[in-house]
Amino acid sequence: MKQIILFTITAILAFGFMESNEIITVKGSDTMVILAQRWAEEYMRKHPETTIQITGGGSGTGISALINGTTDICNSSRPMKQSEKEKLKQRYNTLGVEIKTAKDGLAVYVHESNPVKELSLEQIKNIYTGKITNWKQLGGNDAKIILYSRENNSGTYVYFKDNVLDGDDFAPNAQNMPGTAAVVNAIAKDKNGIGYGGAAYAKGIKFLKIKKDANSIAYEPTTENVKSGDYPISRYLYLYTRSRPTGALKEFIDWILSIEGQAIVTKVGYFPVR
Amino acid sequence: MKKYLLLLLLLVVSSLPLFAQDSSDVVTKDEIMEIKGAMDGMNETVIEMKNTLDALKKIKISGYIQTQYQIADTEATAAYSIGNFSGGSFPSYVNSRFQLRRGRFKINYDNDLTQYVLQVDVTQNGVGIKDAFISVKEPWYKTVSLTAGVFDRPFGFEISYSSSSRETPERSRMYQTLFPGERELGAKIELVSENKKWNWLNVKAGFFNGVLNTANENDSKKDFIGRVGVQIPFQEQNLEIDGGVSIYAGNVRNNSPEFFEMNTSTKKFTRDSSSANIGKYFERNYLGIDVQLYYDAPVIGGLSFRGEFISGKQPGTSSSNNFYNPGATVTPLYKRTFYGYYINYIQNVGLSNQILLKYDVLDPNKNVDGNDIGASGSNLKISDIKYSTLGIGWIYHWDANVKFILYKDFVTNEKVNSIATGSFIPFKNDVHDNVLTLRMQYKF
Repeated sequence: MKQIILFTITAILAFGFMESNEIITVKGSDTMVILAQRWAEEYMRKHPETTIQITGGGSGTGISALINGTTDICNSSRPMKQSEKEKLKQRYNTLGVEIKTAKDGLAVYVHESNPVKELSLEQIKNIYTGKITNWKQLGGNDAKIILYSRENNSGTYVYFKDNVLDGDDFAPNAQNMPGTAAVVNAIAKDKNGIGYGGAAYAKGIKFLKIKKDANSIAYEPTTENVKSGDYPISRYLYLYTRSRPTGALKEFIDWILSIEGQAIVTKVGYFPVR
Repeated sequence: MKKYLLLLLLLVVSSLPLFAQDSSDVVTKDEIMEIKGAMDGMNETVIEMKNTLDALKKIKISGYIQTQYQIADTEATAAYSIGNFSGGSFPSYVNSRFQLRRGRFKINYDNDLTQYVLQVDVTQNGVGIKDAFISVKEPWYKTVSLTAGVFDRPFGFEISYSSSSRETPERSRMYQTLFPGERELGAKIELVSENKKWNWLNVKAGFFNGVLNTANENDSKKDFIGRVGVQIPFQEQNLEIDGGVSIYAGNVRNNSPEFFEMNTSTKKFTRDSSSANIGKYFERNYLGIDVQLYYDAPVIGGLSFRGEFISGKQPGTSSSNNFYNPGATVTPLYKRTFYGYYINYIQNVGLSNQILLKYDVLDPNKNVDGNDIGASGSNLKISDIKYSTLGIGWIYHWDANVKFILYKDFVTNEKVNSIATGSFIPFKNDVHDNVLTLRMQYKF
């Protein structure tokens, strides 16, 4: 028995404190890439001893990287799924630490020249599931609706599917774009296009006002409307770590939640949580 | 100044032909239509490719190989075997071996609400079917699913915890005895809600042949297996407690005119012989409880405690207390009442290391102790001996695919009566059957 105890203690001492976190890797949500880059730039300017590496790829990709141990922090624009938590539990015996860092209104964009100004959640669902296919059905021009969506590893895609389409499948003709910026660029060039994504990216195109149902008031994704909860498609933007953050990792996350870090949230176009 | 004027003039003159060329190259309406046609064609191709890609994404291929080197304390002999519960018995006169423990290849066609799963196991012993099932989920609440084919029996925790993820090289002695192969032919209903109000609860239950893995049914009765499980997270405390209660209610057919029943007062097996015993069914009933605790401890990191306790009735034979499939063989049944349990502690150390301790016990005949076994006229057998196993191990995760496991099983058997003779003799003391395993796994 003594041998067993000795073995355990030696192993803990030998391997427990081998890793240091002076380089912090951050991977995940494309929606959050710009925000994460701004955080990293500012933080590294003030803490030159810390290097922060940011990559996108989508929330799903980031969560996989967190589970595989190839990133320290995962950016995610959706909460972790139960199946992902199970994998984390199996590998690390932890539930993952979820940190809400910002709030985002998920905007629905159309071309500037599109006469349609507002849609209900049901109309958006019918558009993206292929039940409504012409702008004329929505009071617009007689033109086919061109659907722009995101790839299925995107947190924005998952959030939109779960909360707007109620879990139904996207119409097969929806074009999957590699990032929110690509959706915005495509719609800026396509007068019959419709897309969705973070409000921070919405430049050169028009936001649609969104209403919960046909009888509700339609709201734009403004700071006030998102904060008050009147705008019906809003979500949190998260950071995830495998276990309780310590050392440089904790300092960086604490800074993100500080007044300074939250000011960057506002600058980038999202809404602070503190 | 003159120089600049001259330069400007030259530039203007030299650009004139370009303007002329531009005006002659005005794109016509026909050309625009041609480009639009080409774009539409490309768009159609992309949509077609996307449909193909979406269909391919539904096919998920995964697998793992576990290869290992094992050393036993002594060479196995005809008198006792070594390693039965550490990957299979060592052959006689062998105390070390290389082994391809598992070679799994799994194809899963996941169509969201319907699933096709086929998994095979390829080892040095050949190819075997592990999973082959269809699963269908109702589309309204996406809560109830029906699964039919060969799949994990819905009992306890350790069965459904994949061998590729499990920290110890093998399942506990209790599980290997009660559920060899883990799988069975049958059908089950599973309830798992996606609704946050109810997703802490899961229920799974079904009927099975009760004859082991892919073997053909040999009686008219079906065995019922079910589990009610809960998952209770305390996110703020970085703690989760999971658990469940499981039940197995089945029967084993007695093909022999005789069977043996335990007399709990004399602590002997008594023989019952009558032609009326042929075709009698004896209960195979298990009741189990399992608990798993996960905690992200400050400073030391993630850890878990897992434990299970199972008790029940297990009809076996004179030589085996294992889950028994009588088939057509005429072998008298031995009715035993058993209990078993395990507790398991796993500590993550940093990103790549895990340390583990496991202690498991199986008493196949809880009505007797070691001193009764081998006593004169008891009819008790080697298969009535109680075992406990202490396991200690270290896991190193090389990368996302590869891990190494170093693990030692310290196996202790109950000591039989000192007057025992014959096959009992080696069990008068603790048999030297500890096994050290060094395993390498690749998973994708």
